Amino acid sequence: MMSEIDALKVQLESLQSEALAAFAAAENPAALQQLRVHYLGKKGALTEVLKGVGRLPPEARPVIGQYVNDTKAVLAGALERGEAELAVRAKAIRIQAERIDITLPGRKAAAGGLHPVQQGLDEMTEIFSQMGFAIAEGPEIEDEFHNFDALNIPPEHPARAMHDTFFIKDMLNEAGTEPMLLRTHTSPVQIRAMKRFLSESGEPPLAVVAPGRVYRCDYDVTHSPMFHQVEVFKVDRNVSMAHLKGVLRHFLSAYFEKDVGIRLRPHYFPFTEPSAEVDISCVFCASKGCRICKGSGWIEVLGSGMIHPNVLRAVGIDSSEFSGFAFGLGVERLVMLKQGIPDLRLFFENDVRFLRKMGGTR
Amino acid sequence: MKIPFSWLKAYVPLTSTPEQIAADLVRLGHEVEGVELPRAGVKGVRVGLILSKRPHPDADKLSLLQLDIGEAEPLAIVCGASNMGEGDKVPVATIGTSLPNGLKIKKGKIRGETSCGMCCSETELGLAEDASGLLILPADAPVGMEVGEFLALEEAVFDLSITPNRGDCMNARGLARDLAADAGLPFTDVVQADVVTSADVVAPVVAVAAGEDCPVYLARRIDGVKVTDSPAWMQAALLMAGMRPVNGIVDVLNYLMLTMGQPMHAFDADCLAGDVSVRTANDGEPFAALDGRNLSLRAGDLVVSDANGVLALAGIMGSLPSGVTDQTVNIMLESAFFRPARISETRRSYAMVSEASMRFERGVDPLMVAVAMNQATAMICDLYGGVAGAVTACGDAAAVNAGVEVHCRISRIESRLGITIPPATDEVLARMGFGISRQDDQLHVVVPPFRHDISIPEDLSEEYARVIGFDAIPAILPPLAATMPVQKSRFIHDAVAGGFLQVVSYAFISADEQRLFVADDGMDIALANPISDAMSVMRRSAWPGLLNVARHNLNRQQPGVALVEQGRTYARSDRGHDENSVLAWLVTGEMEQDEWYGTARSADFFDLKGAVEAWLSVRGLSGRFVADDAIQGLQAGQSAKILVGRSEVGRIGRVDADIAARFDIDAPVFVAEMALDLLPAAKPAKFAPLPEFPGVERDLVFLFERGCSSDAILDAVRSAAGKLLTEARIFDLYDGKGVPDGKVSLGIRFVLQDGSRTLTQEDSDAASTAIIAAMQKRFDAPLR
Ligand SMILES: [Zn+2]
Repeated sequence: MMSEIDALKVQLESLQSEALAAFAAAENPAALQQLRVHYLGKKGALTEVLKGVGRLPPEARPVIGQYVNDTKAVLAGALERGEAELAVRAKAIRIQAERIDITLPGRKAAAGGLHPVQQGLDEMTEIFSQMGFAIAEGPEIEDEFHNFDALNIPPEHPARAMHDTFFIKDMLNEAGTEPMLLRTHTSPVQIRAMKRFLSESGEPPLAVVAPGRVYRCDYDVTHSPMFHQVEVFKVDRNVSMAHLKGVLRHFLSAYFEKDVGIRLRPHYFPFTEPSAEVDISCVFCASKGCRICKGSGWIEVLGSGMIHPNVLRAVGIDSSEFSGFAFGLGVERLVMLKQGIPDLRLFFENDVRFLRKMGGTR
Repeated sequence: MKIPFSWLKAYVPLTSTPEQIAADLVRLGHEVEGVELPRAGVKGVRVGLILSKRPHPDADKLSLLQLDIGEAEPLAIVCGASNMGEGDKVPVATIGTSLPNGLKIKKGKIRGETSCGMCCSETELGLAEDASGLLILPADAPVGMEVGEFLALEEAVFDLSITPNRGDCMNARGLARDLAADAGLPFTDVVQADVVTSADVVAPVVAVAAGEDCPVYLARRIDGVKVTDSPAWMQAALLMAGMRPVNGIVDVLNYLMLTMGQPMHAFDADCLAGDVSVRTANDGEPFAALDGRNLSLRAGDLVVSDANGVLALAGIMGSLPSGVTDQTVNIMLESAFFRPARISETRRSYAMVSEASMRFERGVDPLMVAVAMNQATAMICDLYGGVAGAVTACGDAAAVNAGVEVHCRISRIESRLGITIPPATDEVLARMGFGISRQDDQLHVVVPPFRHDISIPEDLSEEYARVIGFDAIPAILPPLAATMPVQKSRFIHDAVAGGFLQVVSYAFISADEQRLFVADDGMDIALANPISDAMSVMRRSAWPGLLNVARHNLNRQQPGVALVEQGRTYARSDRGHDENSVLAWLVTGEMEQDEWYGTARSADFFDLKGAVEAWLSVRGLSGRFVADDAIQGLQAGQSAKILVGRSEVGRIGRVDADIAARFDIDAPVFVAEMALDLLPAAKPAKFAPLPEFPGVERDLVFLFERGCSSDAILDAVRSAAGKLLTEARIFDLYDGKGVPDGKVSLGIRFVLQDGSRTLTQEDSDAASTAIIAAMQKRFDAPLR
């Protein structure tokens, strides 16, 4: 009887070592699964051994039963470890196999972008909008009244000749007296916005920013027959030239994203009195003098002034009670300065290489 | 306008450097475009004394000179001129000198004789346009001195851009007055001694019948002049100021205009017939202008005439026949004040510009009319001989622009400028010619007659500001109004987010390009004075502009472009004209290129349709695309109207191949245009609860006749599937092998969902059955 037990024991031991060796040799989870079935399955080797237990005397059965269970536990534990090991190995192999060349370029998303003039217009109107200026627009095909007369530029005025105006063929103003024209500046929006505002609100204060396209009959390396301006004006009680300077400095510093110095030079515009040309400290050479600023350290950026009483009178504002400032920004010029664009013509050539380089997608 | 430094110094004892003076001028409101040193190029040219002159042994026309130029040894020079003799002083360009005309002086032999330099004429020194013979220098010229230094040729010249309101500063005298007043230096007028007149020379008979247009007219004859070239110094001065010497008389008048500011005119008195009159022209009166044009004048033009006709468009230009030439012996000199607005209007109507008209239309100093006349007379008699007669004077100069007064509160000017005005600045303005008195806050100002630009308190504020200096004005942010933040229109921003590059093209195109997409209905807006035919008509579609941009880029090796533009289109309308806001797209060429992950793909209709749909959906809108074969310029079968709700808001399609070819584009081009003004306002998204129960998804594939519209098919699917349907779309399109000719296989995927329960097999079967029946009935399309 002991020999039966011993024989079973030996059988179990050899089964165990055989199984452990087989587990260790298994190369993948499927092989291991097969071995599990082979040794631990319903019809597996261990079950076969258990069948022999029935032949043993009842008192011996628990001993062998214990042996069988121990062996089963050992094998199950080994299987589990083996599976875990194999999983780790399999994952490592998979990771190795799935290595990619992360230096390959990414899938191209369609790359759009805003035209640099649009970016400039957006930035400028945004700054003024934050300062409380309301946005207004006006027609590009204008009459002489809004483009000239109401802005204190009577027909015989020399300044009219400087405007190189495009006239419209066979189209007269409402009165049928004068030809229509393409507006030469955004200043007529001053007149239109003030008139509209007064009819709505009665009297100042009002503060307006008016971006738009303007036209001059002038076409060469430094002139485009169409370009963009932003007109800015404010009318209130006690508006002074100091306020003009304050707004200009705030705007120019905000736009150029640095503290720029400004210089006002007396100038002449029919619609402002006093009038001033505005220079900024050269953003290229920190005012030391360079090719762009022609060695002066200053760059002319815009024209400005206190609104002429005749202009206020043209829209029915009492100039003894109210005063205002106005200025007009050349959008292309400011964008050229900010982005270092050397040639005005690039804006209207629309070369996509240029547009992509300059394109802010926002 | 160019003004040499010495001209200013003649009126004011300026001691600053030219750069400092330039800065002062800028501060006073006179733009300085540059400070030039035009004659700095004559370094190395020295005053030489001719010691001996003998003929060249081998050449008749050459002379051998020995010259003392202040060196130990005299200089031997071979010279081709003949107007010099022993004892004369001439400019000698020494070896190594580069002359203004580019000539570099080298030692050389001329016909066997050594020449160690060159004697110079005015031309070679850049002083005159042409000259015969050497420039003979005055006897007191120091031998050996640099000629440039002796003739003051190395001085600075200010290149100024005078603003149109400051006619009084379009000359050296006016600028000098401003500088003197600003610096507190004395200002001394430069006038010659009185003119000697003779009763033998008759005074012209002048009748002025021009009312306000000509308040002052002075005329005088000078008989017996000998018109020669003007002296070298005057020619040099005029050239420095950027004016060409013409003849002795004209040069004197130009010189005085540039220095004193008064334009004058000289007529050949022997060409005048009868009395002179200043009057308005008769309609159609002929005028042969000095610039060669033959004009037909209009009633209202101001002219100077004699018995035979028009001698001059007053203040603008003289006539060709009455002008002074080298042969002129007797002249009639004119000095006048013409009303600026009259000159401006006439000048503009004939597109004429002259130095004189530029000054008259800005306003000259009425009190200088007579002074300049006398100065001119004195100089002419001095330089060219002749005897002056008495002046015929019409009008009262003292009454012109006189007595202009401005009264206001000083505090008003202060509040306009944002500074306080120290009383000391009154003195500066007084030195500039203003009569100023203050009484407490009250300011009384008498404006000098040469300041045509000042009549109201605001004008004075500018005078104070420039005298005090704009730098003194502080920068103060005004109280900011709390306005509603403005909702920026996102049209273009949403469009570029879809992968399009924004372009900006000109609003004017050619008439031919206009006709490509818009029929000629007489509603075009054309320019009267276009830059070129290519930019002559206001666009009614943005497509031609986009096509031009596409061409530009495809010509530069771009495989494809996706462009978008926001702008206006323009057309006549009942109300006069309309300016419509549009957004326009263009795609052509490769949308995707060959890459490691995929192959190239050319743009097609659906690239653009997808972009437009996405753009609409961002604003909460959905568009219906309705096939339209009749859109001008687009290819039938690949073009559609775009509708939002009931209104047509845009168009889309493939550009006709012939039109594309016009722009050198072979590849299919797709364009779309959206009328932004017609678009309904963007709808804010509305919340809907998320479904709690899963949906059921089913695919059905049918065989349709080619030509069925997928819009119609999906509409039929939607109405057949019942209210549980949440989505229906075409997931597959196939017409390859296995599909009979004329048929197309379409896969339709639909999703059913119920907010209150999980759907069953029966639900989806019922829907499928209904859809299959509908496809059969509507389209005769069997399940595949
Ligand atoms: Zn610089």
